[in-house]
Amino acid sequence: MTAATVEHTGNAAQLPAPLTGVRVLDLGDPLGLYGAKLLADLGADVILVEPPTGISARQLPPFYHDEPGRETSLAFWYLGTSRRSVTCDLDTIDGRELFARLVTTAQVVVAGGPPGRMDELGVGYARFAPENPALVWASVTGFGETGPHASWLAPDLVGVAMSGIMTLAGYPDRAPVMPPGRQGYLSAGIQAAQGVLFALRVAERSGRGQQVEVSMQEALSLAQETAMQTWDMRREVRRRQGNAGILPGVSTYACADGHVYSMIGIPGFGSPWSVLANWMDEHGMAGDLMDAHWQDLLGNINLRELTRLWSEPEKLAEMQVKFAHVNEVLVRFYAAFPKQFLYEEGQKRRLLIGPANSAKDLVENKQLRARGWFQAVEHPEIPATIEYPGAPFRLSRSPWRIRCRAPLIGEHNIEIWEEELGYRRDQIEVLMSAGVI
Amino acid sequence: MQERLPLPLAGIRVADFSWFGAGPIAGLALATFGAEVIRVESESHMDGLRNTMPVPPGREGPNVSGYYNNFNAGKRSFTLSMNEPRAREVALELLTTCDVMLENYTPRIMEKWGLTYDDVAQVRPDIIYANMPMQGNWGPHRDFLGFGGVLAPLTGYSYLAGWPDREPIGIGTNYPDYVLNPGHAVIAIMAALRHRDRTGEGQQIELAQIESTVAGLGPFLMDYDLNGRVPERNGNRIEYAAPHGAFPCAGEDRWCVIAVFSDEQWDSLKRVMSDPAWGQADEFSTMLGRKKHEDELEARLSSWTRTLPPEDIAATLQANGVPAGVVQTAEDVLDHDPQLKERGYYVYLDHPEAGRNAYDGPGVRLHGTPGVLRSPAPLLGEHNDYILNDLLAIESEKLAELLVSKVIY
Repeated sequence: MTAATVEHTGNAAQLPAPLTGVRVLDLGDPLGLYGAKLLADLGADVILVEPPTGISARQLPPFYHDEPGRETSLAFWYLGTSRRSVTCDLDTIDGRELFARLVTTAQVVVAGGPPGRMDELGVGYARFAPENPALVWASVTGFGETGPHASWLAPDLVGVAMSGIMTLAGYPDRAPVMPPGRQGYLSAGIQAAQGVLFALRVAERSGRGQQVEVSMQEALSLAQETAMQTWDMRREVRRRQGNAGILPGVSTYACADGHVYSMIGIPGFGSPWSVLANWMDEHGMAGDLMDAHWQDLLGNINLRELTRLWSEPEKLAEMQVKFAHVNEVLVRFYAAFPKQFLYEEGQKRRLLIGPANSAKDLVENKQLRARGWFQAVEHPEIPATIEYPGAPFRLSRSPWRIRCRAPLIGEHNIEIWEEELGYRRDQIEVLMSAGVI
Repeated sequence: MQERLPLPLAGIRVADFSWFGAGPIAGLALATFGAEVIRVESESHMDGLRNTMPVPPGREGPNVSGYYNNFNAGKRSFTLSMNEPRAREVALELLTTCDVMLENYTPRIMEKWGLTYDDVAQVRPDIIYANMPMQGNWGPHRDFLGFGGVLAPLTGYSYLAGWPDREPIGIGTNYPDYVLNPGHAVIAIMAALRHRDRTGEGQQIELAQIESTVAGLGPFLMDYDLNGRVPERNGNRIEYAAPHGAFPCAGEDRWCVIAVFSDEQWDSLKRVMSDPAWGQADEFSTMLGRKKHEDELEARLSSWTRTLPPEDIAATLQANGVPAGVVQTAEDVLDHDPQLKERGYYVYLDHPEAGRNAYDGPGVRLHGTPGVLRSPAPLLGEHNDYILNDLLAIESEKLAELLVSKVIY
């Protein structure tokens, strides 16, 4: 491998960051935070502009050592990396003036909801565009800036429901379920970072900025997979399916220490059923499946065969009895072994078996560990060195890197208001006493 | 009135060797915002989605899948059979004209085809080479097979989704394929383009899908690492709101979501329900009380939601300051949602074989340089002429040979 290929991240600190020289103001909306994190970890100078009490994401659980507080939210620590923080109360005239001064130094603003609020306060895009024509202004909201639902409240749950992805998840006999980890917010943030980088490319080439608009509902739409097209083309509504696999081997199974997802017998996706049966036989657990009669059947278990059977209901019913027997043998096999064993040994045989990994399994994951994925981040005020989940992608010459821990509330007030923008110390004292900063 | 600016990626050409979801969706975003994206496929090594449902009734063949077509609008298609030894030469000729290469195979495929980063950088030193293998290009699991169905359990999404008393079946789709992985890839490519603009250097982007996907669950890992807790799936409940879930409504399998984060929102919800007697009970008047009695709260609330259509519940609650929505089906989002309709999110394009179909619009809106789906998905090999004759200007004798020997196929 040449020096330019991605091998190790050890020298990442010496390499240049791709977004050097770009200043971003992040207003800390929960929908924009992950996008602003990506820009910050790519080297943009991101300043979190917070109300004096801190942004709402600072209240999100879990907390460090389970001690709730404004400076201990692990969710905020994760989302707030590589930034600086200033406080200023946009509900005051002084606070809006401070913000306006700061915008004159920025290339990008990542604002949030509710739509129109920044304009109402007189600190929206319209105010700054004339004097800063290259400014990129991103608004990240639940439903976008226009339309009958623009003013709707949009916590993550509302976003995943309205986008059409939640209806696809869960068991038919229970309510649809949401995805874990506020995926609506994350998706909105990812779309915002994409849009900002598109617009920044235009601005840096032409000197012309613009507004970037993200709707969480629209950001998630592609994750409907085929549901939208299935309705459009066939007038069929895709719904949640539970664990109702018809083919033995294509389902979620209990194993000795949890669960595995097994995907065997789909043409083009790994080894066929016969390979699984041989493996079971190695452990003396194939039951009667090695008999010629069952071997013939196993040779024909695949999706194509099943599609054919759909047109012959009687034959399908007959087959389902046989499938049930095969499945019983398989259930006993999977139940006898731990998930990482089934995963690794299955892969040796090109069998698609995935462990249902917990957070613990992921922290201990061999591949992530061997690749040095986690990154140590200093928290000098505790003091502690804490391991963070690492880069979502590795750039060989201009890497993503957590530059520092998330800021304390207003940690950089003096550095930015006084040293960079030239406010006098006595002015800052007045603004702090008045609760503006 | 200012003149229209060129799209952000105007003048950028992308060779897209990827397949299935994550890679092609990254290419889709680049195409929508101005890049010329060329899908490199072949009859013998076709993108599996070309043969996947749904298809319009009565139509068949590799060009009519709604799954494939939705992820490939605005691109060109070039058929090059990479398993033929002579294909490599043509691929490298094509790559010489490209700014970005995209692929999402296990590393051994690119080694087999002779198209690793080092190979491509020899003919195009400033190439931005984005590869998206499931496990990365190195490490003990590098050659593990994987597709979306296995990625969700592997990366923790299945374990953390759904009901505590049931199996971790995931969220019903190959979720990481659709926003997380392609979105991260586009962001990395844009960052690399800026680096190239500033320094003239290309580079390799390695997006290991396991890393990109687990990055979406960061706080759960930190909770285990720092607090020793293994977070468990908990249906639709979260720590800091109650009620917070999906509730059954009037109609067949109709559901709404309701999320109450404050006493004020709770009071509004009660008013909208016409202050039922059960709602006055002390155990529900505080957040701690609602959390403690969440089972009963959900049962009581369901008895009210069952009487009304979800659209009415969502609209009335939102008008009264309570977060709520409809658990929309594809029929709802495509045909009925007034918000998506007014904003024109879905785009209808006429495809020569599949007919007039809906496509997802751009995932982000740029007011000055709006993304556009310039054409429906390409037919397999639709742009072979353009690429062989106009772009690569391959001489006719050689071209005939490549066709006869099924290198172009």
